[in-house]
Amino acid sequence: MFDVIVKNGLVVDGSGAPGFKGDVAIKDGRIAAVGKVTGEARTVVDATGRVVAPGFIDPHTHFDVQLLWDGAAKPALEHGVTCVVPGNCSLSLAPLKIADRARLIGMFQQIEEMPPEAFTEAFEWTWEDFAGYRAAIEKDLSINVAPLVGHSVIRLWVMGPASQERAATPDEIKAMQDLLRECLEAGAVGLSTSFVDVDENGRPVPSRFAQFEELDALSAVLGEFGRMLQIVPEFYATDITIARIDQLAELSLKHNIPTTFSPVFDNAGTPNSVPRQIARVEEQFARGARVWPQMQTRPADISFSLLRPSLFFGRLPRWMRVLRQPLEQRLAGLRDPAIVEKMIADTGPDEGEKLLGRLVLRGGDAAPPELAGMTLSEIAKARGETPARALISLSLEHGLDVAFVSANAGHEKTERVGPMLAHPLVHIGASDGGAHLASFATYGDTGYLFSEFVRKGHLTLEQAVAKITGETADIWGLKDRGRLQPGKAADIVVFDAERIDRAEELPIFDMPGDGMRYTRAARGIDTVLVNGEVAYTAGSYTMARAGVVCV
Amino acid sequence: MAALTRQRRFVTPGPDETVEELARRAVPDAPLEAAVDQIKSWNLHVFAMRRPPGLLLGSDVVFVEPPITNA
Repeated sequence: MFDVIVKNGLVVDGSGAPGFKGDVAIKDGRIAAVGKVTGEARTVVDATGRVVAPGFIDPHTHFDVQLLWDGAAKPALEHGVTCVVPGNCSLSLAPLKIADRARLIGMFQQIEEMPPEAFTEAFEWTWEDFAGYRAAIEKDLSINVAPLVGHSVIRLWVMGPASQERAATPDEIKAMQDLLRECLEAGAVGLSTSFVDVDENGRPVPSRFAQFEELDALSAVLGEFGRMLQIVPEFYATDITIARIDQLAELSLKHNIPTTFSPVFDNAGTPNSVPRQIARVEEQFARGARVWPQMQTRPADISFSLLRPSLFFGRLPRWMRVLRQPLEQRLAGLRDPAIVEKMIADTGPDEGEKLLGRLVLRGGDAAPPELAGMTLSEIAKARGETPARALISLSLEHGLDVAFVSANAGHEKTERVGPMLAHPLVHIGASDGGAHLASFATYGDTGYLFSEFVRKGHLTLEQAVAKITGETADIWGLKDRGRLQPGKAADIVVFDAERIDRAEELPIFDMPGDGMRYTRAARGIDTVLVNGEVAYTAGSYTMARAGVVCV
Repeated sequence: MAALTRQRRFVTPGPDETVEELARRAVPDAPLEAAVDQIKSWNLHVFAMRRPPGLLLGSDVVFVEPPITNA
């Protein structure tokens, strides 16, 4: 007697091999048989007309904090994602001393656009070490988690405030190695670091103060375990990114570790950038290094209102300064002519025509509906203002609750991105799931892979499934995951190949603190099993809590 | 081991290294003032875009030559 049989589906097993009609049987959380299965099961999932694939793996997320109150990382699981990798970009919730919590929250707020209340209102913060964090999330998981540990927090633990001031001493590097080893033994899948990020005060994060020798020493510890090194390079500059690829290759070869860098954006302004990066990666792989460029599927769309700070204002420091204030002070700032003039000056001599004019009003609770779909340039002309002034005045008239979208700001040309995603050395990921809550929905990139790139012929169904299952598991060393093979963990998604997609991006109010995030529901996903238990089916989450920390 | 195509050369700053010390190390044949100017002009990500400009970090990629033409 099996526990579950998923019957009569098109089995696409995650290896890239052609799909075949068949069944998948599950016993004790593991795949027991694949093919024509005879025998009975307590639960039968009818997959007639559907694809049966391994659960998708999302290798670049920031679900670290959300997992403490939402063990499904919603809506990731309903999109077919059965394993997420949090802890990217040098930031994780452990190891962290109590005294350093505010500092880390500030970094998450600045870098990942997560409200501080998400860290203070929704859970009891009981741990300092990595094992404690693992225990805290494991209490209620319905999705699997392969957590990275952040270089910045390791540095912060060992060096305190000096982690953002200077190079480490040999003794401090030794202490960091010991701490990293402890984290890896406690279940960390690897180490993440960042070369670009700053904290809420504009100060580079701790990882950026590390000499290469420090990263080399930490990579030596990763080598003891064969675990991953993830980095965020200076993605805006191709030459620097290529230098980072070379550094990663050196570490990969020396310590026999996999490495990955993200994001990798295709941008119309620098059309040779991604091809040059991939060419360098090909050269480094030919030498035996493992340096995986991690590329997202979705175009870069950024939404914002003046209700919250947004990465859209990253290059407008005076705007960011005002928007970081509590609401009353923010309103006062936006009404202060002297401050407004400085903000306007930030937007250039045309007062935002080039920078802001193409923004489209997307709506908001208080947005005038007749303006929805108009560009800020059009709105400004109608009001007799410049775009920068119209953005402020219109927002003030409506309680700041007027949302704009900067659409297709990069990575939007399917005919260019498709072949890149299909490249055998390009690793699909970089969703940023769980972060940038009020800027864009970081969910549904897997559905978009099928709707935009498979159904338009850039990848086969089997290629696409392998890219986000078997290949991802191989890259990350997740030996139990990613393929429908007897003995593997029974992480399975059943979906309609003609319908799978991401739904429209919508604001919802389910987060702690100010509560809002953009999200996308799933389309075409029938059933998701995690470690053999049905975690999502027929549009609803179940009570199953079979997720684990998996390395 | 397969050969690599030539890419733009770079160094990383040593602990507490100043731009002058780095320039002297990276461009030893040029007069110091010219070397510093060259380093600054080749590394706008450090010397123009960063706040405060010129804050050298141990992890920085600092190019020691201009972009390679036709790269």
